[in-house]
Amino acid sequence: MSEKNPLPFAKTQSRAMLLWVLAVLIGLPLILPSATLATEILIFAMAALACNLLLGYTGLLSFGQGIFFGAGAYCAALLMIHLQMGLFTALLGAAIAGGFLALLVGALAIRRTGIYFVMLTLAFSQMAYFVAYTLSGWTGGDNGLLSVPRPEIRIGDTVLLSLADARAFYGFVAVLFLLIFIGARRVIASPFGSTLMAIRENETRASAIGYDTRHFKILVFVLSGAVTGIAGALYAMLLHFVPLSNIDLAMSENILIMTIVGGTGSLFGSLLGAGSIVLLGDFLSDLWPRWLMLLGVILILVVIFMRGGLWGGLASLFEKVSASRKATVVAKEEGL
Amino acid sequence: MQRRTLLKASLTAAAALSLPLSVRSAFAAEPFTFYGLKSMSGAFASYGKFADMGSRLAVEQHPDILGRPLNYKVIDTEGNAGKAVRKVQEAIQQDGARFFQGCTLSSSALAVAKEVDKAGGVFMTPVGADEVTGKDCNRATFRWSVPTYGAIRETIVPLIKLLPDAKRWYTITPQYVFGEALLEGAKNVLKEHGLEHVGNSYHSLQEQEFSGYLTNAISTKPDVLVLLNFGSQSSNTLRQAVNFGIKERMKVLLVWSAGLDQFQELGSDILEGVYLGAQYWHQVDTPLNRELVKLTQAKYGINPTYPLAADYISTKVMLDTIISTGSFDGPTVAKAMQGLSFEGPTGKESIRAGDHQVIKDYYLLIGKAAADMADKDDLAKVLSAGQSFPSVDATGCTLA
Repeated sequence: MSEKNPLPFAKTQSRAMLLWVLAVLIGLPLILPSATLATEILIFAMAALACNLLLGYTGLLSFGQGIFFGAGAYCAALLMIHLQMGLFTALLGAAIAGGFLALLVGALAIRRTGIYFVMLTLAFSQMAYFVAYTLSGWTGGDNGLLSVPRPEIRIGDTVLLSLADARAFYGFVAVLFLLIFIGARRVIASPFGSTLMAIRENETRASAIGYDTRHFKILVFVLSGAVTGIAGALYAMLLHFVPLSNIDLAMSENILIMTIVGGTGSLFGSLLGAGSIVLLGDFLSDLWPRWLMLLGVILILVVIFMRGGLWGGLASLFEKVSASRKATVVAKEEGL
Repeated sequence: MQRRTLLKASLTAAAALSLPLSVRSAFAAEPFTFYGLKSMSGAFASYGKFADMGSRLAVEQHPDILGRPLNYKVIDTEGNAGKAVRKVQEAIQQDGARFFQGCTLSSSALAVAKEVDKAGGVFMTPVGADEVTGKDCNRATFRWSVPTYGAIRETIVPLIKLLPDAKRWYTITPQYVFGEALLEGAKNVLKEHGLEHVGNSYHSLQEQEFSGYLTNAISTKPDVLVLLNFGSQSSNTLRQAVNFGIKERMKVLLVWSAGLDQFQELGSDILEGVYLGAQYWHQVDTPLNRELVKLTQAKYGINPTYPLAADYISTKVMLDTIISTGSFDGPTVAKAMQGLSFEGPTGKESIRAGDHQVIKDYYLLIGKAAADMADKDDLAKVLSAGQSFPSVDATGCTLA
């Protein structure tokens, strides 16, 4: 069941995974109290999925995801507010903004490895926050960028679907998430994805056999930045608003926590991670004002006892159950 | 037989129609829910706790409203604007919520105001951002707290009169929209009175170490140091200023204090002789404030703080207007609130129709010495109170 080493990709396993994702996408708005909450989960799942490409598949711990999330949100919002751009142009703009900033951050940060790489992404994250804070004429500064529209899906002058309704917007985000999920799986299953995993396992060896690991790392950074930018744009459309907190360090931390809790090296885990953190936040905040401490405890427990995150835990549980079933069958057969 | 049944039915219908509206709706008895937007968790949880206490006091005065049981539901904004907006959207879409009060962060209030306006609801908030009743004002949104303009006018102008020899003034400002608004106001007032603004130090919203800024201030030898920051930053600046011995060298004015809870945290050693601007003070002698102090002491065993008073009166005004209009319709209630006069904690208060700003007093206080305190909360004395508001044209609000 584990996705940790998806080579070679079994077609049936891949289909089963897609069916799981489809089931979750259909089930979320039915199970949860509101489509808005379900949409928020999918948006953060998208950001966690992008983070997973870096952390889970390439082994890069980046604190810069908030930069791309915020940049995507601001870029899409500004395009829609000032240039009256449509939905897809705004999303494309967000992807380009996220990807371009990821190119800049990645090109500089990957010159260093380990702790120095992490420190550089942290520094960029702080810098981006202060840039957004200072450019208050564009970003609204601490008050945030208000009156962000949520354009309809249209071809020319014909409106195909209004996204004003929360359920319609959820449907749109769900389709986008599914496409990105399928795209990400294809990337991982491709030779490019195999190289990323080779870099994760042993960069020196990957380099020694002829791969330009720097280029691969920059490329995955850009890909991750573009997807995170789209997630940021969707969040701005969901809220009709871009708070400054979209680009702060806490956003990067949040995305990282979702990725780790869900399970690094598992795209489905990103969905689990985002869902559990968003829902836990809502649930725990009702119980105790200092609920972030409880979240910290949960994170510690997941890291210690579920090294593959929630997905890893579930996978090992399935394996244990199926092993015990097999053992029972064998015992019965021997008994006969 | 059929005729008798028809007669009975007609009589029942006529009797039901002749009942007053409130009694008729009591038959339905569908609860009416009023929503409090409070930062119950996260960085602003201490503010949210008092704000929630205030709203609950007001709600408890109305077990039912227009014949319907009154339900009070808290939405925890978690001190996070994104979460606040999402939860408000959910309440509007899922529960048909229309009446909201609260918010701690200006960014949350500005975004929530847009959502509530779109939904045809009513929202009253005590946040500091002038944009709420300025360029981002709308039909649905009302603000209780005095804007930065009034806070500056009602602290610096009376202080100029109290300290005629104070000619040199230095400011310390958080560098963002709110701080800039206070700084601009301070510069204008000083210029009008022919006084010298000898310098300003900007700091970021993350700053907690102010010794460098205080050293800069000391080097310019001002007569008055004006602190334009707020919350924990103003507390830290004040503590560090006292440690630097600044109180012995110059007068200190904190324009935008948080009131009693902040003063309790600082204590009289720090506050003694410091001038403090405040939206509310529990010792002010007005009919409603006397009642509020009594209610708060009876229920919670404490004196009301600023968030408690602000959310109490805002909730009360909204509920009272629903009752007076006999309607749960947002636009009807919002219209009735325009120009409304009411008894508030600061005395007679009114809502300006042009920008939905509550016209009320702002206070200049001075910190008391421990020996002069009558009780543990008697930390300051009111020096002056007054009302200063920019004209509606100057706010940038285009409601009218």
